[in-house]
Amino acid sequence: MSGTRDDILGRLRRQLGRTDATRAEAQARVEAVLAARQCGPRAPSDALVERFIERARAMLSTVERCPAESEVPAFCARWLAAQSLPLDLVVAPPFAHLDWAGAGLRMRVGAADGDDRVGVTGCFRAIAETGTLMLRSGVDMPPVNSLLPETHIAIVPVARIVADMEAAWADARSEWGNAGGAEGGQGWPRAVNFVSGPSRTADIEQVIVLGAHGPFRVHLLVVG
Amino acid sequence: MRPSIAFAAIRLLESAGYTVVVPDTQTCCGQPGYNAGDRAAARALARKLIAEFESFPHVVAPSGSCAGTVKVHYAELFADDPAWRARAEALAEKTFELTQFLVDVAGVSTVPGTFSGSVTYHDCCSGLRELGVKAQPRALMDSLPGVRRVEMRDCEECCGFGGLFSVKYPDISGAIVQRKCESIRGSGAYAVALGDLGCMMNIEGRLRRSGDELTEVIHIAELLAGPAGEGG
Amino acid sequence: MEIRSMHFVERVRQRLDDDELQRNLKRTRGRNAASRAAAVAAFPDFDAVRQRATEIRRSVLRDLDVWLERFEAKATERGATVLWARDGEHACELIADIAKRHGVRTVVKSKSMVSEEAGLNAALEAAGVRPVETDLGEYILQINDNEPPSHIIMPVIHKSKEQVSELFARVHGTPPKTDIEALTHEARAVLRPEFLGADMGLSGGNFLIAETGSVAIVTNEGNGRLCTTLPRVHVALTGIEKVIPTLEDLSTLLRILPRSATGQALTNYVSMLTGPKHAGDPDGPEHMYFVLVDGGRADLLGSEFEDMLRCIRCGACMNHCPVYQTVGGHAYGWVYPGPMGSVLTPLYQGLEKAKDLPHAATLCNQCGVVCPVSIPLPELMRRLREKQVECGLRPWSERLALRAWAWVAGRPKLYALASRVGVRYLRWLAGGRDRIQVMGLAPGWTAQRDFPAPAAQTFRELHAARQAAKRQGGAR
Repeated sequence: MSGTRDDILGRLRRQLGRTDATRAEAQARVEAVLAARQCGPRAPSDALVERFIERARAMLSTVERCPAESEVPAFCARWLAAQSLPLDLVVAPPFAHLDWAGAGLRMRVGAADGDDRVGVTGCFRAIAETGTLMLRSGVDMPPVNSLLPETHIAIVPVARIVADMEAAWADARSEWGNAGGAEGGQGWPRAVNFVSGPSRTADIEQVIVLGAHGPFRVHLLVVG
Repeated sequence: MRPSIAFAAIRLLESAGYTVVVPDTQTCCGQPGYNAGDRAAARALARKLIAEFESFPHVVAPSGSCAGTVKVHYAELFADDPAWRARAEALAEKTFELTQFLVDVAGVSTVPGTFSGSVTYHDCCSGLRELGVKAQPRALMDSLPGVRRVEMRDCEECCGFGGLFSVKYPDISGAIVQRKCESIRGSGAYAVALGDLGCMMNIEGRLRRSGDELTEVIHIAELLAGPAGEGG
Repeated sequence: MEIRSMHFVERVRQRLDDDELQRNLKRTRGRNAASRAAAVAAFPDFDAVRQRATEIRRSVLRDLDVWLERFEAKATERGATVLWARDGEHACELIADIAKRHGVRTVVKSKSMVSEEAGLNAALEAAGVRPVETDLGEYILQINDNEPPSHIIMPVIHKSKEQVSELFARVHGTPPKTDIEALTHEARAVLRPEFLGADMGLSGGNFLIAETGSVAIVTNEGNGRLCTTLPRVHVALTGIEKVIPTLEDLSTLLRILPRSATGQALTNYVSMLTGPKHAGDPDGPEHMYFVLVDGGRADLLGSEFEDMLRCIRCGACMNHCPVYQTVGGHAYGWVYPGPMGSVLTPLYQGLEKAKDLPHAATLCNQCGVVCPVSIPLPELMRRLREKQVECGLRPWSERLALRAWAWVAGRPKLYALASRVGVRYLRWLAGGRDRIQVMGLAPGWTAQRDFPAPAAQTFRELHAARQAAKRQGGAR
């Protein structure tokens, strides 16, 4: 096993003409690149909320603005009823405290299974450049809730909308600990999923069909 | 094949105030060998051409692919030969496709052509993608009062010639040029103008074979220069 | 996958004669190119991003040994196991071992071209493990007797909905449907229980991120997420060239990959997976493996073909290739079709097994212009042509003809004479008409089109006469 590893790395070194000196240089270059975290050309950072909503709609998410988190259940209930969707939800733990029953919704808290029809999640960040949700996995954030149910509702506080992925990664590093160095914060999650609208495919005759394997619809409540 | 093209190019250059010299010993830039993988042959012909042309202030070819070979590929051919590489680069600097030279270097905005009718322009691959020839032929066409320029769909798509490709894979080449002919006919233009002899023979040959005797296929130099005058 | 590229010419002939295939190709021809063009036009920084993306990939290759060590260290620290495979066959053995170790009976797969290179499905079946392709296109191919893909990101671009309908009716035992939405949802319904019941998920990897030891997977369907979330074991199978340094680099490359591929600003899903599930996580695999395959890649590093290792598998080159658009992907005879395949196939499988591929291109450079990481594809095809000449792989008739041409072109007087003779011969063939319809020297040419008859005299003859006349005129 390690034989193959060493063979491959050895061959790469030969092809590159590595010597001890150039190897040390290469290691220094690699460390410098990792430390510099150079960004390429980036997205504009103004009018974030408007841009996020416009781009999310372009990716076929539906979007509503909701004045306060406490009103989220009522907004969900109204939207689900209008779409003739079931009023049973599986809700990620951070939103368990909202008054779902008061809005006429049945819900359970936890991770979705194959039978749940509507999943509710928050988001770690939302990215204005592409109208994208950035979701992390974790004890209180099961990725299946945005994946298995046919309908995904995401709660997006305006304060979490950032310009682009680079901005989101900067926040991630400060909350989760430096991905490249020593652990700090709450640790780097197993999965970071970027979600831009409902699942889709165009494999047959290049015709876009929604609901390939993931949700058929993604509804965003932009709160605040 | 079509000496009238070269004479048309000469007329255009002369009417722009230049003296045109055609070296007696000039043959071929070596592109066929280069593209066939025969590097030795291509290098030999490149050396010959460089020696023949490097003393002139400007080198102009009425062909995007010949100009492209000199301008883009000669330097690579001599990647391992600094002396020749420098000469190749110096020549590349002053080598141009005809319409590129007329517009970008000579600043020509009017030409003597007298063509009358609708014309569509096919962007030959080398001229377009190696040299950036796109606006220049169109600007000169637009300066002709009788020419109504119409764009075909996919005007930048290859005609399927590809030099030896059209001989080695005639079926594929035939299917590609068929699409080009359909685009040309779809434009409704009376004539198609272009800047490379190979593409011209390919397109004209396919149009005629498919029964189209009407669509004129005309080299951009001839379109812009008009018919040869007395002794011209 | 077994290579059939040596039969390129016959394969092309069959496909040009296949009316159904030609109809299918025509249906989608130019569509991806148009989507890409619109996406690029709507994105002002595209060229700058392309430059940066090229730089990122180039800088990784320069220090690929160190980047891979760095990736391995980080991935291992995060609890994943990194395995190395010298080629596809070895990768199959490693994956079959993993399956055995974890008692795996069913593997759900999201799209992986390296898995096609390796012929993984057949190897898994031989090991008693059932592979299930879950990308809609790949699934269609798998149930159609393991047909190979014809495009690297749109595997069934060569099929019509009627063909899919007939296949589904036959395999699923359902009534035929020609509504594409209904067909898609039928596949969803068939595959959902497979996701829920599978023991292992196998994915490819669009990028390996050295900073975090993660794999990034780009999909639209969501099958990539399902394969890497539900089963107990996740194996990411990729080539060793896929490493990138940082999350910032991932962000840059994600601006250019979907736009180049389908014209999307971003795919629906981008998943970045780092190690197995953490204590307390409600979902995620318990074991995560990386299988990093060489398969000919190491040999390209530092060679005249190194540029090819920058490839991010977007498919733009084939979407813009007049040849691919005419013959479809299967004609090329191995995993990768189009321009990138015409370079990779001979390099990974042997020059002599894919002699036609580097020649079956007009060198129009559409591919080079659209490549998001600036790979000079026509230049690489031309270098492969040179390699063939160096290795004596070209037919003697072609060599002789080129030698003769070069010899004559090096001798101006002879060249002028040959041109005069040639012109007269062609005019004789034309027999007074303006065209030649059958030409013995290039029968292929005149099978497809006429050869316009040349003018009576060469430019050289006429020019000499005019110069002489001018001189006389000047003397008078």
